[in-house]
Amino acid sequence: MKLKKYLLFLAIAALAAVIAACGAEPKANNDEQSKGNNEESKSNNEESKDNSNSEKLEGSVVIDGSGTVYPLMARIAEEYMINEQENVSVEVSRAGTSAGFKKFLVKDGTDFNDASRQIKDEEAAEAKDLGIEVKELKVALDGLTFVINKENDWAKEMTPEQLISIFKADSGVKKWSDLDPSWPDEEIKPMGPNENHGTYEFFYETILEKQDLVDTVNLQQDYSTLVNLVAEDVNGIAFFGFGYYVNNKDKLEAVHVDFGSGAVEPSLDTISEDGDYAQFTRPVFTYLNVQHATEKPQVLDYAIYLMHNINNFAGETGFAPIPDEEVKEGVEYLDGLKN
Amino acid sequence: MEKVLERKMSRRMNMRLLVNSVAKYIFLLATLFGLVVLSVLIYRVFSEGFGWLNFDFITGKLSTQPERAGIMGAILGTFWLMLVVAPVTMFLGVGTAIYLELYAKKGRLQGFIQTNISNLAGVPSIVYGILGLTVFARAMNFGNIVLAGGLTMSLLILPIVIVASQEAIRAVPNPLSEASYGMGATKWQTIKEIILPVALPGILTGAILSLSRAIGETAPLVVIGIPALLIPFPGGILDKFTVLPMQIYYWTLDSSLTAEYANLAAATIIVLLVALLLLNTTAIIIRNKFQQKH
Repeated sequence: MKLKKYLLFLAIAALAAVIAACGAEPKANNDEQSKGNNEESKSNNEESKDNSNSEKLEGSVVIDGSGTVYPLMARIAEEYMINEQENVSVEVSRAGTSAGFKKFLVKDGTDFNDASRQIKDEEAAEAKDLGIEVKELKVALDGLTFVINKENDWAKEMTPEQLISIFKADSGVKKWSDLDPSWPDEEIKPMGPNENHGTYEFFYETILEKQDLVDTVNLQQDYSTLVNLVAEDVNGIAFFGFGYYVNNKDKLEAVHVDFGSGAVEPSLDTISEDGDYAQFTRPVFTYLNVQHATEKPQVLDYAIYLMHNINNFAGETGFAPIPDEEVKEGVEYLDGLKN
Repeated sequence: MEKVLERKMSRRMNMRLLVNSVAKYIFLLATLFGLVVLSVLIYRVFSEGFGWLNFDFITGKLSTQPERAGIMGAILGTFWLMLVVAPVTMFLGVGTAIYLELYAKKGRLQGFIQTNISNLAGVPSIVYGILGLTVFARAMNFGNIVLAGGLTMSLLILPIVIVASQEAIRAVPNPLSEASYGMGATKWQTIKEIILPVALPGILTGAILSLSRAIGETAPLVVIGIPALLIPFPGGILDKFTVLPMQIYYWTLDSSLTAEYANLAAATIIVLLVALLLLNTTAIIIRNKFQQKH
């Protein structure tokens, strides 16, 4: 008798699951629509296009890519869902720039890929092979910031050459006193994000000009680990994006860099397009799948919203805004995709 | 002569007593170590998270702004995930256990299957994640929806459910089933009417405990690819989803950018702990209630 009761319970649970599945079907169609991979979804698309005049959109926008750009993109995605289109689900993931491109450059891949570096030649070639038209949208500027321990009172100002010699292999610099005889006779502990990060690639390719890093460098996967390591080691020095410094100002000190005309502190003003820190500033991007934008109105609508609002949210997430002309250029390009 | 022997004996006796008391304290320390770590953990989680735990946090939508972030989406995601995992593992797990214990001939093949099931129970969860990504997310083209995550989780806990169910079936006293056969019942009648009802408490206990493992598992879902920002609530098993441990993971990851995320993660841990505690209590109640009957 008891067994029957339990079987009944299981049957009810199973039934509930089935009902839930049925209830979920309309939404599931939206997912398929976002993939744009079958007949039915195409007709759905046409319907939504007709609706686009009334500005009520639904479906999903799928974004993956850089963890550095993630806070900015997540912030804007949330604003869009709250203020613009509450029936559109903008999903933001953060697999990393390179891993994100792998999900972007496949059939029915993601709609956007955030990147803390420019698309590589081989990635662009792959897109061409697959027939995916990719549009690069510059979204913000990030200043590569070198951070030291709060108690480090000697290395507060450095030249780019000094910083490079700390991280470069065979530069002969092992101790602070190798840089300046008046500095302590103690070993420097260089640190940074590891090869998975676009920040590392920018540092290696642009700042070090592809010279090897010193083999004592401590490369980490998580930025929070780097923050703690430098906060606890008076001889530590690490590099990462400006956002991670500005949110940990109470634990870390930023090195002021002397590019030749006096020491410059990295700040939202100095890391901007023509700012004094521009030499260590890099643009960050998002890459748009143009076919998806023309097939799916919610993707195009979100892309336009993104470009319109990008500079409003850059500052609070630790990025410098891009020049207004570049915003305008992006918006004009996207407006051109409307039909 | 006797005196010498006595002195020798008393010296050895003292030594043995000393060793005994040293051993006692070593084992006491070993026990305390775990308890101390646990209490530090609980203290930290509660001191960081308790202030953030309120009605709005539990019923609210996910957000990048700490003050308006909520975890209802993750709670619903966990619920739908369990609705896939529970029936699938119960059916497959108990079915396998019945076959292996009651139908399969004891022999090489049965031994081989048995060994492999025990081995599977020790496979790291991230490996199941890769399996789930390949089979459910990619080959069957489910993507990162509840169904794909649930089937992956089912595979993960299936070995545990099978082994627990086997133990429970084996523990059914032989005379019960023999009496049933003696009355002329068939094998299926005996299983249905005698063996399963008696074994059910043991089976349910194992199933609930493994469900609570599935609730806390993160690695397989990281591999399948759960979005870090997913605001709409999942409405069924075909929707994209996030779960409580994933949210803890993402908030901890970004706590160096937004310090309050650490508090949100701690508050989510409290919710997860309460859910696990409820499940485990259910398991214990079921066990105690039915144990008295047989």
